[in-house]
Amino acid sequence: MPHATPAPEPRSRPRVGLFVTCLADAIRPRLGFAALSLLEAAGCDVEVPRAQTCCGQPAFNSGDTQGGAALARRTIAAFEGCDHVVVPSGSCAGMIRAHYREALADDPAWLPRAEALAAKTHELLSFLADYRGWRPQGVALAASATYHDSCSGLRELGILDQPRALLREVDGLELRPLTGNDVCCGFGGTFCVKYPAISDAIVKEKAVLIEASGAQLLLGGDLGCLMNMAGALHRRGSAVRAFHAAEVLAGMGNGPAIGEEE
Amino acid sequence: MGTVFKRDVARALSDATLKTAIDRTTVTAERKRAAALTDYPQFAAARERGTRIKDHVVAHLDHYLLEFERNATASGATVHWAADSEEACRIVLGICRGAGARRVTRSKSMLGEEIGLPHALEAAGIERVETDLAEHIVQLAGETPSHIIWPALHKTREQVSALFKASHRDPHKTEDVEAMVESARRELRDRFLSAEVGISGANFLVADSGAVCTVTNEGNAELTTTPPRVHIVTAGIEKLVPSLAHAFVLLRLLVRSATGADLTQYTTFHCGPKRPGDLDGPQEFHIVLVDNGRSRMLADAGLREMLRCIRCGACMNHCVVYRQIGGHAYGATYPGPMGAVLTPALQGAEKARDLPHACTLNGRCQEVCPVGIPLPALLRGWRDRSWKDGLVPQSVRSGLWLWRFAAERPRLYHLGTAAAVRAMRLFRRGGWIGRMPLAGAWTRYRDFPAPAGRTFMEQLRDRERGR
Amino acid sequence: MSARDAVLGAVKAALGRSRPADPADPAAVAAEALALLADPDAVRPALPGTDAAVAFAARVVSPKVGATLDRVEALADLPGAVRRYLDGQGLPHLLALQPDPALQGLDWAGFELRDAALPDEAAAFGLARWGIAETGSLVFHSGPDTAVLGHFLPLHHIAAVRASTILPHLEDYAAVCGAAPRNANLITGASGTTDIEGSYVRGAHGPRFLHVLLVAD
Repeated sequence: MPHATPAPEPRSRPRVGLFVTCLADAIRPRLGFAALSLLEAAGCDVEVPRAQTCCGQPAFNSGDTQGGAALARRTIAAFEGCDHVVVPSGSCAGMIRAHYREALADDPAWLPRAEALAAKTHELLSFLADYRGWRPQGVALAASATYHDSCSGLRELGILDQPRALLREVDGLELRPLTGNDVCCGFGGTFCVKYPAISDAIVKEKAVLIEASGAQLLLGGDLGCLMNMAGALHRRGSAVRAFHAAEVLAGMGNGPAIGEEE
Repeated sequence: MGTVFKRDVARALSDATLKTAIDRTTVTAERKRAAALTDYPQFAAARERGTRIKDHVVAHLDHYLLEFERNATASGATVHWAADSEEACRIVLGICRGAGARRVTRSKSMLGEEIGLPHALEAAGIERVETDLAEHIVQLAGETPSHIIWPALHKTREQVSALFKASHRDPHKTEDVEAMVESARRELRDRFLSAEVGISGANFLVADSGAVCTVTNEGNAELTTTPPRVHIVTAGIEKLVPSLAHAFVLLRLLVRSATGADLTQYTTFHCGPKRPGDLDGPQEFHIVLVDNGRSRMLADAGLREMLRCIRCGACMNHCVVYRQIGGHAYGATYPGPMGAVLTPALQGAEKARDLPHACTLNGRCQEVCPVGIPLPALLRGWRDRSWKDGLVPQSVRSGLWLWRFAAERPRLYHLGTAAAVRAMRLFRRGGWIGRMPLAGAWTRYRDFPAPAGRTFMEQLRDRERGR
Repeated sequence: MSARDAVLGAVKAALGRSRPADPADPAAVAAEALALLADPDAVRPALPGTDAAVAFAARVVSPKVGATLDRVEALADLPGAVRRYLDGQGLPHLLALQPDPALQGLDWAGFELRDAALPDEAAAFGLARWGIAETGSLVFHSGPDTAVLGHFLPLHHIAAVRASTILPHLEDYAAVCGAAPRNANLITGASGTTDIEGSYVRGAHGPRFLHVLLVAD
């Protein structure tokens, strides 16, 4: 559990680089702003380096290790001046924390820089809960919600309790258990378009379980998985609405859900 | 991209009966394993110990092979070596011919399947009797196993009933599973006792005694190996353990992970042929040690950890892909995550091109693996090779190249995404996109949330200018 | 080159042995292997209570093993206990008896006995060398007084075990078993299968019933 023993903070207001992620940047900017406001509320000075693009995971996981390494170098260069790098995605954070060292294993000049960045990179919700000791105050949302644990965050970063601990502090929000909360939704990055029929079969089962939870909202910590599940739910005519948990924590849970017009 | 794999996947996904069969067994298996682990709080420590035992054996494999050979030979066994599957089959057939075998009984062995032994026996005109109930079902159906623990997992009870009625001499009269099992018992009993040769695999080879361990719940291994005049064991060279006590550490992990029991009903250590005064047992005991790619995996840092595998099947029971497509779509002896790692090693990456890619890398297989094999990392290793070897489809290469080209140029990238989101919005109806060029793989099955009008980076710039 | 040389050569090359003819240092390997067995309690389930025989008896009748159990005071009481079981099952007093002198010397008056089990034997009776409390297993070693098929052919497998031979854990058996017999059979319940839809059914090929007689002496 990488977050088990939080390091003491060197400064009262750490300089945090926000890695927005390519999906949030393009599809759901609200998530980026939610992350921004949460980090500021948690006492951080937030920077958004303009040189950021993609963490390189699609290339790396497709076997294009060199392509992944090239984007890893760019990301390292863009963020290594920050005290922390925070990402509203367990998947992209996991890429930086767990896999940059693999992508750059053959590059002695960059490997130490990859290790250094990995050590200070965090997924947003676990960073708020474990490193900043932050809890939402005065945030309310009258709704029932269920939570899907995305696989990278859960298994690469050990994120399980943190989002729930934070969401429990939201007034009026009822958390309902999700059967198979730790079972993959079938997204898998490029998997969902390389093997769409298998992905569809997996997410259909997930959608049935989400509906069976009886919750009005589906929450999670990874936009890719949420888009997959929300897209499947919408296709089957479900009324369940999906948000990134950070949006709810930032008081944006009354806004448009994924797939709803601004 | 009409690969054989995709064709077989499409067939599997459209087979509702198959899905029913997969769910009936894997859901039970998952539940029983979880219950077994609840009763075994030492599991995490045992898993770590088991991992170290396997790594120790693999690191000293030459030593243990020689020790096993020495002790097995001393016990009266004949030890054979086979570099590949053809050689292994040739050795087994030679022993069968020498024994004048017309009928051979076989106790389930995935290595036997791997080396093509069922086919080789039939091609040699030897009657092959599969004695594991599931293998018996698979044999009657003229199929291959779809799971390493439950080879007939793809069959529903209704299908098994029809098969038994069509082929058993005295089939069941009532439609319950008990009656079907009884029917198989009647059918196979005299076959067990009339075979000239019995063939088994090995779950463990015990180096310090030369004993071969088999585990079954049915008791078919002992009924296969005791009555015939000749017992042949085919075993992969990675099956070694230093001693009986080491085997027990691994058995605790294997059985709980496979079926959720604490120990198999019948756990037997076979050591040599019938001894003077023994009341039963084979007069000849042959052990065929099979390499078939394992020494290549040993030499390969990206595959060596796979030699830890003790063939429990937990990875496939917990795999979201296996649970949708079943075992046959993998097109090889070993399905699921472990198969997706092993099959390219055994058959060549080209033939098994899809397998390492048809995985979401969700990591659940590694989480449940009783010897901690980093299956996602090994699968990613195959993806890396297949990229380097040019086995990744051109469409994927081009798409990723374009993406990388842009992502390495932040100004271009941000302009490009800003333009792309505007283009995508042309296809939206409300907040969703139901169809869009180049996105068919997504939108055929799911709706795609329409992007906001402006990217985060654009909106942030506006905000900062406004400040 | 023989297949043996080819396989061993490939293994040695894969392990980077500098001189292929060199054996690994056997003492060092043995020490490493032994170290992997240290602190066995860390990796095995704890027994309920301190009495292995009590734990064994509880385990045998638990759903994990699913056998039936009867207790007798001494070996001499075994024929009576076997008769009770056969009567309870509505079976004739016909028995394949393991040719173990300790059993054959008992008073089997009223029984029809056979030395070896027939293919369709209804019941066979044997004496296990050890019991293992951790798993509820019975251990038989093949030999002049123990046939392997006696444990597998009958529909009802009746097995006696002395309380004094109940070992706590599997490793304890490994420590006392001595030179490997041709077959060491660890039997943990009746024959079962889950091969049809994962549903558990007894009596797949081997016995459908396992009845254990725990001898107090």
